[in-house]
Amino acid sequence: MFQRLLRPLGALSLIGFVWLPAFAKPIAYANGTTVMAEYGAGTMREFQVFYAPRYFLSAGLGHMALDSDVNDGSMDISYARLNYLVKRWNMEKAQANIFGWGSLGSATTSDENSNRLAWNAGLQVDYETRRTYSSFKTDYYYSASAFARRIDTLQLGVAPYEHDYSTLATWFVVQARHYTGDMYEGVEVAFLLRLFKGNAWIEAGPTTDGKVQAMFMFNF
Amino acid sequence: MRVFILMIVLVLHSNAAGAETIEIKVNGLVCGFCAQGIEKTLRRNPATVEVLVSLEERLVAVETKEGQDIPDEQLETALRDSGYDVTEITRSNDSLNEIRERLESDAQ
Repeated sequence: MFQRLLRPLGALSLIGFVWLPAFAKPIAYANGTTVMAEYGAGTMREFQVFYAPRYFLSAGLGHMALDSDVNDGSMDISYARLNYLVKRWNMEKAQANIFGWGSLGSATTSDENSNRLAWNAGLQVDYETRRTYSSFKTDYYYSASAFARRIDTLQLGVAPYEHDYSTLATWFVVQARHYTGDMYEGVEVAFLLRLFKGNAWIEAGPTTDGKVQAMFMFNF
Repeated sequence: MRVFILMIVLVLHSNAAGAETIEIKVNGLVCGFCAQGIEKTLRRNPATVEVLVSLEERLVAVETKEGQDIPDEQLETALRDSGYDVTEITRSNDSLNEIRERLESDAQ
């Protein structure tokens, strides 16, 4: 029974989390709230809210709607997630982090109206200066007797100038992503322009398939 | 002469009492978006008047209300809660505008 419930949501969770903004840090700051909305290449719309009671921990809720590219299927997912800062290195002119997270969710599909259950666990390692950014993220998705899949994401970013606290930041980011489990053949590449100033962050760009990906994030 | 010395002492004491600016050197300060928590956290302190953040100088400056101070422990906690590590804390009579001008001058 439990395995049967897990199966479809696991698949949905897998697809949904692929589009999470890997560049962003999942924890803002103590007593900080992060709101994020994303439009992913015509197939995904997502909204997330995270609250961090401590600088190393955040918890939140999200909702995502997916429309399949290859058939008429659609799905809605609601989930709860915990993010944890495993380790941070604050250097003189750089910062590096290791984050871990886990989530549990419920979903409905166009095929069935019943709710499904699955879980996800992931890890992110990042290193950034005021001119360069690099991150590697790996996500593992499991649904009993349905699948066990992994998605690896590498991001490399460069800033044409060093922004300061009150000035606009501009970044050019290349993203490469590899999927296991028959989700995507080869490596998917996207080119993103990222802008942020104050507590607002926006990014957009094309994938190599010619689709648009966009994301907005706000901290308060 | 004694009056003159007394006046100098009073003036110096007055300036010391008005030493309302705290300068904090911070490690890890590389992203303006991520550093928003510093300003938010420090502004929550009742002694804070204004906060200045400079990524270039790795500096956070806090102007406090006259005659008030924020203990080092509170500053270190505030910066840690914002995601950063404090390396040095100093206090001066410089106003936040003077510090801002100094930073602009250093940048040129």
